[in-house]
Amino acid sequence: MNNSPGDRHDGVSRRGFLTGTGAVAAAAAGLQAELKQATAQPRVDDTNPMGPAPVLLQLTVNGRSLTTHVEPRVTLLDALRNYLDVTGCKRVCDRATCGACTVMVNGRTVYACTMLALEARGCDIRTAEALVRGGKLDPVPTAFVDCDAQQCGFCTPGFVVSLRAALDRNPRATPEELEAAVSGNICRCGTYEQMRHAIVQLCQKGG
Amino acid sequence: MAEGWPKKRRLLGTKIRRIDGPDKSTGRAKYSYDINRPGMLHGAILRCPHAHAKITRLDTSAAKKVPGFQALAMVLPPKDWLVVKADEARKTLELKSVPSKKKTDKAEQRTVTVGPGVTILRGNKPVTLADLKADDLVQVEVEQDAVGRELFYAGDEILAVAADTEEHAQDALRAIQIEYQVLEHVVDPAEVLAKPGLHTTPLPNLSPGKEFTKGDPAAGFKAAEAVVEATYGVGVISHQCLETHGLVAEWDAEGGLTVWASTQATVATAAALAGRFGVPPGKVKCITHYMGGGFGSKFGPDVQGVLAADLARRTGQAVKIMLDRHEEVIAAGNRPSAYGKVKIGGKKDGTITAYAIDCYGTPGYTGGNTVNLNFLPYVYQDAIENFTRLHTVAFTNAGAARAMRAPGHPQNCILTEFAIDDLAAKLGIDPVIIRRKNLPPNNPKANKIDWAGRRNDIYNEQIDIALKLSGWKDKWHPPGQGKAGVIKHGIGMALHTWGGNAAGGTTPNECFVVIAKDGSVIAESSTQDLGTAQRTVTAIVVAEVLGLQPTDIIVKIGESTFGFSTGSGGSTTCPTQAPAALLAAQQARNDLFKKVAAKLGADPKNFAIDVGKVVDTKTQREWSWKEFCAKLGMDEAKGKGEWNLAISNEPGNENISSGQVGGVQTAEVLVDTETGLIRLQHIVAVQDCGLVVNKLACESQVAGGVIMGINYALFEENILDKTTGRQVNPDMEFYKLGGLKDMPKITVHMQDMPERGVIGIGEPPTISTAAAIGNAVFNALGVRVPILPLTPKRVLDALAKGGQ
Repeated sequence: MNNSPGDRHDGVSRRGFLTGTGAVAAAAAGLQAELKQATAQPRVDDTNPMGPAPVLLQLTVNGRSLTTHVEPRVTLLDALRNYLDVTGCKRVCDRATCGACTVMVNGRTVYACTMLALEARGCDIRTAEALVRGGKLDPVPTAFVDCDAQQCGFCTPGFVVSLRAALDRNPRATPEELEAAVSGNICRCGTYEQMRHAIVQLCQKGG
Repeated sequence: MAEGWPKKRRLLGTKIRRIDGPDKSTGRAKYSYDINRPGMLHGAILRCPHAHAKITRLDTSAAKKVPGFQALAMVLPPKDWLVVKADEARKTLELKSVPSKKKTDKAEQRTVTVGPGVTILRGNKPVTLADLKADDLVQVEVEQDAVGRELFYAGDEILAVAADTEEHAQDALRAIQIEYQVLEHVVDPAEVLAKPGLHTTPLPNLSPGKEFTKGDPAAGFKAAEAVVEATYGVGVISHQCLETHGLVAEWDAEGGLTVWASTQATVATAAALAGRFGVPPGKVKCITHYMGGGFGSKFGPDVQGVLAADLARRTGQAVKIMLDRHEEVIAAGNRPSAYGKVKIGGKKDGTITAYAIDCYGTPGYTGGNTVNLNFLPYVYQDAIENFTRLHTVAFTNAGAARAMRAPGHPQNCILTEFAIDDLAAKLGIDPVIIRRKNLPPNNPKANKIDWAGRRNDIYNEQIDIALKLSGWKDKWHPPGQGKAGVIKHGIGMALHTWGGNAAGGTTPNECFVVIAKDGSVIAESSTQDLGTAQRTVTAIVVAEVLGLQPTDIIVKIGESTFGFSTGSGGSTTCPTQAPAALLAAQQARNDLFKKVAAKLGADPKNFAIDVGKVVDTKTQREWSWKEFCAKLGMDEAKGKGEWNLAISNEPGNENISSGQVGGVQTAEVLVDTETGLIRLQHIVAVQDCGLVVNKLACESQVAGGVIMGINYALFEENILDKTTGRQVNPDMEFYKLGGLKDMPKITVHMQDMPERGVIGIGEPPTISTAAAIGNAVFNALGVRVPILPLTPKRVLDALAKGGQ
């Protein structure tokens, strides 16, 4: 699983993160002094604890480099929405159930609410906003529009990103495979029947 | 008399893509939740963790020291005071109450110590002691005002804080010290019925209903060839809007307020905030360009909207409060439960000789009128000669109910349609025989094109279509008598009805159309698009009249300042806004003809619209749309359309919009008798809605309604712990909503009846799905699973009892 963003070493390792977030928890419990001591002595590896104060965050989102400062506890979803104004990924359940915050991180779909923003440093992040370029709509959102596979539209970017990633992995995916690809997404308006039509269109015309 | 819908329909009734589809599907559409304003602060709400309690101590001093903390606002009724003396040295403010003519209002005096975090407001602006003089009108709250306040459910709002980031707002909430006196609570409505003296809610818990009787039920039961007695029910569910409730509030230097709110009612939300903060309605603007689902729960600013605006006036910064998922489920409305003891009697020819029900539901701690168990027996009551109903409201210490997609109807449908199938089984007949026999009769005095004049025919035709599309003849079998095996097959049916008229009220909804000299067309209305494709409806109607394409129309909606509109409830929006757009477009077209005719020396009566052009029918001269509009010179052409129920009811307007629809749905299921799991196979939904404006969006509305009904039947329920009174599944993890793979094939059949004009479609298709599924499960098993949702446990329990 070398492509798992949490294991990357060009940003910060998952182990390093746990160290870091543990330190945040300790600080919250009143151990400010120890933390200051820890941060004052940089280590030789890349596992320096960070926070609780905001740290520099640089993310590559839809091909653009965006920079802000966030506390280490901030999720990728909240960093995108609240700090970088990238709002195509929606916050709905905020606990990895509904899929409305689905983004692509190095081509893999990730619930942005379950990943810390700092874990995504150095990764190629793509959101639904990337699926229209120069006025040309990607085949996935095109199929959603053609088949009316959206009503209020709040879940739609998440579904669209899930399908885009599945088709990127396998452009000849079957309808069954594409249905499985969105099994981690929930729609409340009930657009699933029209979504099936969109999936059939994608399989027939190509995604 | 209005000109009416075009005789020849070019766009109306065809399948047209949403004009905002590309923006929504690529995340570019900005919802209220997505609004980020310069310097915007984030608010968070402190809620009561107990189901019923009184605040005994509140200390927010630590919260005010949290990094990033900006302001605090209490949930208390606003109160104005007159300044007696502002003492800068002692940091005290002496106040007296505003003289009142009401004898019950006593004159009060108080002295407030103005320490850190105490904000004095004058005219919605924070001021210091130095700014004040005697007799200034001010508002000032101190946290001690909250001590003694009674809270009625686990989730009741106490106060809100604003901070520079969401993280800091949550930190500030955690730093608040608060203590409660925990009081007796009840969250189970059955317990309310068992203990009639309970008083743990604002009104006494038990609110007995009035009995309503038609005919002679006792005689009816005596005449019956079979009688069934049973208890059926369905629990409380939440709206689970994906975009949670909330708004972003920002005050301007002139004392005006702008909010970006997730609401079904831009005008009403602006008006409510104007009233709450004492500013003229014209100074409040509510913007809702895109809306992430409401389903009846979003008609005003709510507590969180008022708190956001309050925090914004205290800080002079924009403040965003959007509920989190937990808050959304517990505090933003729900659909009341319904449980009923039913007795039904009938004959082998299908006649229902009598129906009797004693039922109850809970709306949570307030809002008893949302229980709506008052149209029983559902659909068939005009044909059933003898019936009696009694419904009781049981208040509990839970979040308050709100209207939810066809309020009351799904519950009434379940409590009627389950009984019909159980009766059919006892009589040994196909339940369709009972349905046909007890359909409401046509009213011979009514207009033949109206619902009342032809409802029996409409239902019979819908049943015919549903039987054919579902393969009923081959698939139906007596209950429990399908093929042998562990997996049982079943099919069931249910009927529904709904209004869907134009909006009532005295002020008509408005729509404005402006044609510019470059040929561009703007259609403007304050109405909102909740996901119903209302924006596209307006575009289609205007484009139809002007010979253009829907994408040619610039539709500006979702701002309270764009004229008057009512909230989107009761499926009234399309039947109100489509006619308003029609009239506005026709008036703008006539204005265009008049103005251009004057310049050409032609007779405006000779001009006619064709696709993309205007023709002089006398001279056969043609202009492209753009050429023709260019002749406006420095002028523009305008039209205004107005519509509401009163206008719709004027003679001659019955073809433009009307009301009352029927629908028939069938469900086909497989039930695993070893695991209790239900797999849906096929749902058929036959629906009329008068004139279909956009067949594509209309069909997806119907399929969406069916899917909401599927969730209601199989998955959804607010589960409250009796001991703590807290909801154990305020999320999307243990509060189940189906995914794509849970959904069966859904066949939608729209009965297009253009002669009836436009009728709303949002609510009806969700009504009968759950009842049809419940009946299909009964048909599969031969055993009634009486309570929804039909969880595997309930299926297995019913099988174990064998229907006893």
